Amino acid sequence: MASIDLEKMLVKIKNTQWSLADIDWEAPGAELITEEQWPKLKEFMSDLMWIEHVGARAFAAMAKKAPNDTLREIYNYFHAEEQRHANAEMALMKRWGMLEGDEIPEPNINLRLVIEWLDRYADEMPVYVLGTVVPMLEIALDGALCTFLLETVDDPVCHQAFEKINDDESRHLGVGFTVMEMQGHGKTYIKAAKMLAPLLDPRLLLGIASYFPLLNKMRDNVIAMGLPEEKLYAAMNKFEKIGGRTADGRRNPWFQIIRQHAKFVVNRSNRVYHVPVDAVVRLTGHIPRRALPAVPSWVKELTYRPAA
Amino acid sequence: MSTVSETRKPRRKAAARKTTKAGARSASSSSSRTDAVVARSEVLIIGAGFAGLGSAIRLRQQGIEDIVILERATDVGGTWRDNTYPGAACDIPSNLYSFSFAQNPEWSRSFSGGSEILRYVHHLADHYNLRPLVRFEHNVESMQYDDQRGVWCVKTSKGVFEGRSVVMAQGPLSNASLPNIAGIEDYQGHKIHSAMWDHDYDFEGKRVAVIGTGASGIQIIPELVKKAGFVKVFQRTPGWVLPRPDFETPGWNKALFRRFPASQDAMRKALYLFHESVALGIIWDTPLTALVERIGRLHLRMQVKDRWLRRQLTPDFRIGCKRVLMSSDYYPALQKDNCKLITWPIARLSEKGIRTVEGIEHQFDCIVFATGFDVSHSGTPFPVTGRDGRVLGEEWSGGAQAYKSINVSGYPNLYMTFGPNSGPGHNSALVYMEAQIDYLVRGIQTLRERKLKALDVKPDAQRAFNRDIQRRLAKTNWNSGCKSWYLTEDGFNATMFPGFATQFARQMAAFDLGDYTELPA
Ligand SMILES: Cc1cc2nc3c(=O)[nH]c(=O)nc-3n(C[C@H](O)[C@H](O)[C@H](O)COP(=O)(O)OP(=O)(O)OC[C@H]3O[C@@H](n4cnc5c(N)ncnc54)[C@H](O)[C@@H]3O)c2cc1C
Repeated sequence: MASIDLEKMLVKIKNTQWSLADIDWEAPGAELITEEQWPKLKEFMSDLMWIEHVGARAFAAMAKKAPNDTLREIYNYFHAEEQRHANAEMALMKRWGMLEGDEIPEPNINLRLVIEWLDRYADEMPVYVLGTVVPMLEIALDGALCTFLLETVDDPVCHQAFEKINDDESRHLGVGFTVMEMQGHGKTYIKAAKMLAPLLDPRLLLGIASYFPLLNKMRDNVIAMGLPEEKLYAAMNKFEKIGGRTADGRRNPWFQIIRQHAKFVVNRSNRVYHVPVDAVVRLTGHIPRRALPAVPSWVKELTYRPAA
Repeated sequence: MSTVSETRKPRRKAAARKTTKAGARSASSSSSRTDAVVARSEVLIIGAGFAGLGSAIRLRQQGIEDIVILERATDVGGTWRDNTYPGAACDIPSNLYSFSFAQNPEWSRSFSGGSEILRYVHHLADHYNLRPLVRFEHNVESMQYDDQRGVWCVKTSKGVFEGRSVVMAQGPLSNASLPNIAGIEDYQGHKIHSAMWDHDYDFEGKRVAVIGTGASGIQIIPELVKKAGFVKVFQRTPGWVLPRPDFETPGWNKALFRRFPASQDAMRKALYLFHESVALGIIWDTPLTALVERIGRLHLRMQVKDRWLRRQLTPDFRIGCKRVLMSSDYYPALQKDNCKLITWPIARLSEKGIRTVEGIEHQFDCIVFATGFDVSHSGTPFPVTGRDGRVLGEEWSGGAQAYKSINVSGYPNLYMTFGPNSGPGHNSALVYMEAQIDYLVRGIQTLRERKLKALDVKPDAQRAFNRDIQRRLAKTNWNSGCKSWYLTEDGFNATMFPGFATQFARQMAAFDLGDYTELPA
């Protein structure tokens, strides 16, 4: 996959918009969800739609920091597209009878912490930090969670929606890896050191403290759903393969960090990493929800309704 | 039903250029009924807005009486006749947004509403008895210079008018523009453009969209929120909004201005100097810029409590780069229960409403387009053919250029108000306009006094002027990297004047005959 022309990509993004109204949410097939699947699926979907929001909120922050107008506009679209995915996933949940009235699904606590962090600090983070983490999360999502969902759920409307969602995600990844390469382009040692400087920023450390347990938590959720964890790891390995296919990509120090970290995650026998992180997952599980600040007002924009 | 009339649809650039050529061709053919010469005069003025009327007043004061004003509409007033949307008002204090030679002691507010400004324009037309000069419903379609006779032949919808000199005062913001959004024809609900308001439409209880949050949008929104059932505001980029200290003028103040006109002069001078000082922050990046930005941010922080909404409303460009907005009631209106700001990009218009990229179709009874005007930086509003058949739109295809914003070499005796690089960013347009009017009066007078056929600016003088202007523009906030209607697609600034109003006035006060070729009669 060669680097893409961002101008052309923007035109393509504009020309391939879809909306919730394009899907018939009442079409038959909802009954194909089994009794046994239902409760786990509800939890899975709740997390999935909130992961869309991690991406959405990160894209919103990246739009502020984008190095040029084209990329800024692209990120603005991606922000909205991630929200569209969350809306579509909510529409599926509604279809499957998983939402009462105007109820909004509850994310797991680790997702909630990441979102809290994003909302507080993401706007101040340099674009290349988020620009590397987001493709990682997306590839894990795209490669594992969505595929798994389609393998286990027979509802044709779900397949229809995810065909559209996956099309969008492949564009997000295309842009994501191109930008990672752009940032690694001709980097001198000094520039690379500058890119790493935010590692000393306590706000970023906080971010890392919520990102690590998130991945482990998601792994646990995936296993609970019956997905072989290797599928998740295979998807994460793709990050290394695509991100590292060019010298520019490999030169990006943030790519190296995230790649290295992914290796830790994938290697279950690395107890030095997993024992403490799993402990944090358990610990955060005890945080009472009311101890968290109120959700940001953008959460109220979520809706499963195709028209407003 | 659409209320946006066909004739004022935005013309895409390519199309505009095509009409330039086609129009030039038809101007030279004499077959059409409208090609009959209707009248000849010393001066032809195109447009009966502030600039056209002001030019006529000043020309007459210098004894030049043989004037015809061509106006496409049925009344005088220009911008203020067309923009009658609820909340339309001036964002420059009225005392400064009026002619210095025709001051009005009766302004009812510090920032008067549109109808009061329009009354002032009507007062000008009546007091100076200008209406007999105006040919209403005469739309100028093209104009061509006849080198031999030294006259301009101006083709209108009702015949050709000839004039020795022409003042193009057709206004910088007189052609309403609809945005380039997919599916705009599909929408079946009611459509209104801010510059062609539909006063018969009852907003009571209606679901309304407002597209655009520029100068007009932020004036309309607070008014609509008072009436409509629900208002959704579609914003692409947030602008800088500064508070607007609008208050009623007390009776004693009016009496004072009436009794002692000098006091009004002093007030005007003070307002003028205040705005001049603001230029320091708005036009160039100085320590004052940071201060004005801080005022803008403080204003936002004080009026908007929600963190996310504040984030959506925080501009990401330097203040001054785009037009600065003035309003104290815009932010509060956005937070009313029946109002919502939408910042998702618009994907397309559909039969019932607006589809945004987050996948939702927002449905409406009415869409209000506060999307501004078709400002051409590289064409002309109608084809203009100069000496030897040269076409101005073609010469300007890479960006408009003029000499002192008012003359163009190769187009003798042609004067433009708000020509290239005459736009104010921090002060009243009328201050700039007066300077232009006085200049064109000098030019027309010179022709008369020296018994010339024509005055044509020298190409070298024009080139030197533009080199200097572009060099100065490079240092301004407008050219600091944001996109705005001031710039062409390629980032060329053919719109703004890079300096203080005082500098513009000085530029226009000097009439340097040496920069012109004098063509004898
Ligand atoms: C809503 C709005 C608010 C504004 N507020 C301010 C403000 O607060 N402060 C400020 O400094 N400036 C403001 N402006 C800028 C404003 O345009 C100028 O201040 C001023 O009105 C320009 O006057 P004008 O005579 O040059 O143009 P206009 O007022 O636009 O008049 C041009 C006239 O020419 C006519 N015309 C156009 N084309 C043709 C044709 N082909 N044939 C015949 N006639 C034609 C039009 O019908 C019109 O009557 C505002 C503009 C708008 C649109």
